[in-house]
Amino acid sequence: MRCSRLFPLMDRSGNSKKGPAGPTLFRQIATRLAAFTLLFALLDVCIVVLTYSSQPESLAQELLTLEAHKAEKGTDLQPDLLAGPPGAEHWSARYIDPDTNAGSTPPLRAGAAPGMLMDWTRRERVRGGYRITGVRSVLQNGQQRWLFMQFEGDGIRPYVPVIANEIVQHVALPLIPLSLLLLVFNVFAVRRVLKPLRRAEAEVDALDPNNVLLRLSEAPAPREVNTLVRAVNRALTRLDEAMAILRGFTANAAHELRTPLSIMQLSLDRLPPSPLRDDLQADTQHLTRLVSQMLDLAQADAMAVEPETPVDLADIGRDIVAAMAPKVFANQRDLRFETSGDTRALGHAEAIYRIYRNLIDNALAHAPGDTPIVVTAGPGPQLSVRDYGPSISDEDLPHIFERFWRKDRRETDGAGLGLGIVQRLAQAHGGAITVERPIDGGALFRVTFAPLKHGE
Amino acid sequence: MRLLLVEDNARLASLIREGLNRQGFAVDWCETVDGAEHALKINDYDLMLLDLGLPDGDGLDLIRSLRRRHDTMPILILTARGGLDDRVTGLDAGADDYLVKPFQIPELAARCRALLRRPGASLGTQLTSGNVILDSAERTVTVGGVPIDATPREVDLLECLLRRAGHVVAKPALEGALYSMDAEVTPNALEACISRLRKRITAAGADVQIRTVHGVGYALFAPVSADG
Repeated sequence: MRCSRLFPLMDRSGNSKKGPAGPTLFRQIATRLAAFTLLFALLDVCIVVLTYSSQPESLAQELLTLEAHKAEKGTDLQPDLLAGPPGAEHWSARYIDPDTNAGSTPPLRAGAAPGMLMDWTRRERVRGGYRITGVRSVLQNGQQRWLFMQFEGDGIRPYVPVIANEIVQHVALPLIPLSLLLLVFNVFAVRRVLKPLRRAEAEVDALDPNNVLLRLSEAPAPREVNTLVRAVNRALTRLDEAMAILRGFTANAAHELRTPLSIMQLSLDRLPPSPLRDDLQADTQHLTRLVSQMLDLAQADAMAVEPETPVDLADIGRDIVAAMAPKVFANQRDLRFETSGDTRALGHAEAIYRIYRNLIDNALAHAPGDTPIVVTAGPGPQLSVRDYGPSISDEDLPHIFERFWRKDRRETDGAGLGLGIVQRLAQAHGGAITVERPIDGGALFRVTFAPLKHGE
Repeated sequence: MRLLLVEDNARLASLIREGLNRQGFAVDWCETVDGAEHALKINDYDLMLLDLGLPDGDGLDLIRSLRRRHDTMPILILTARGGLDDRVTGLDAGADDYLVKPFQIPELAARCRALLRRPGASLGTQLTSGNVILDSAERTVTVGGVPIDATPREVDLLECLLRRAGHVVAKPALEGALYSMDAEVTPNALEACISRLRKRITAAGADVQIRTVHGVGYALFAPVSADG
């Protein structure tokens, strides 16, 4: 590793992306749905209980049917061994033979034809309660038999299994699958409905203050989401207008400042040579540079780069080196250009030109006269400017991209805006600037851009 | 050489006129788009220096209307607009060059000369820089008045550099000039030729310098004292 350290100086997703506190909409809907289902089940149970308690006849019928089912399940079981309903007294159960009908006074219902058996139930009041008597047809081992049952009971207790059975049969069994189904359906429905919201969120995240032309897509989304999306878009439009005003201001300021500066400079040139004239000329040049840099920075801040244009970093690098070389050589300095690999990238040619220029100016300001400044395009969509001046100290490193920061405040050359401009222009490209401190001294500033899309 | 200056700031205009007059240009001045249209009807100009923000319109519109009329007069935009897209917009509209304020008279004069196809301080067929004089018709080179021996190729090379004295000439441009009729080009041919030329003129006592701009090309620089 040649470089002692590498500092990524740009973090576009630096803001905390942690979700806000509070449950998700999906969870809210699911909990509410579950609670509602529970309430509905409870209500259903109440209705069942109320209905049956007001109809003791049908309760008695159901009770005997339930007991008969128990007998049916227990093969060859003596019906007498059945426990009967809870709290039942004088429980008796036995099979009867319809043909013989011997000694079966009670089993046959009054008025029924002999040999003709049928299910029946009778409920009669006895002292301290009720007696329930009845016959049920039971299928055992494929053979039909007739079960006679009788018991006495009191209050609701004997009916509890019946009511429980009813609840299972008519409330739980249909309601549980329905609730589950509803829940599953809701998962999908809510997910689906929230999809445009998530898309809008992603779009808002992707919004770039440098590219205010972006808008959230409106269709197709539920009306509620669309209302929000439109409101956000209206806000973006207002932002856009504000940016346009700012850009307009920058252009006006440029004109208002540069014209008097031109007059000053040309007027000074006409004065007879004197040390005072030289000082004033130097001051004017400094002021000119300051104004240019401030305007460049203001413009870079408001810049909307659409890096869709393919550019060749090597072509731009050659242009800037050719343009700056005479001035650099006149100051007894050396400027070199190198290229490596494919140097094409997506970008704004003029902005990249200024990135190069500011980096070279920075190198000229910091490296001593006898060292070369090496400008490199590539490999890939990146450029770099390397000087062999003093290395950047740990102490200075965090400050070099700060606006108006200069290592030595007494230096009158430059405003400390050059690197800030480069950083801003790189960001406007969706790129980044890094500074490396090679072990053999100096500094290497590297700017990376978006690569060309495949096939271009 | 007659120039038309369109600039709405009177003080700046008078400073530019005076400066260019001293460089040997005759400069007419008007303040508005209308004034410029009028002046162009009456006189023929070799070059127009145009400010963009004018009281009665945008200079860019004037350029476009001139170019629509197939007027090929060179136009140099002289403006305070130094934005990222301004230069491209200006050149796209049909301007030939673009200079952002503030500027200095020597630079403005150099740009004007370049547009008027009179590069360097050429007089007739003679190209001069420092004590080096190249006669482009005779194909001879003198250093300090003394003729030197140079191959035709070296003279071609020196001519290229002299025509763009003070500026970097890219390698492909030099190679194109050297080998236009010759198919045989080796990668080091240009380098070798430059090296021989440099030795030759330095040995003859030339005060100009041929510098290598590594990775880009070469540039001929006049001695600092003689450079305006």
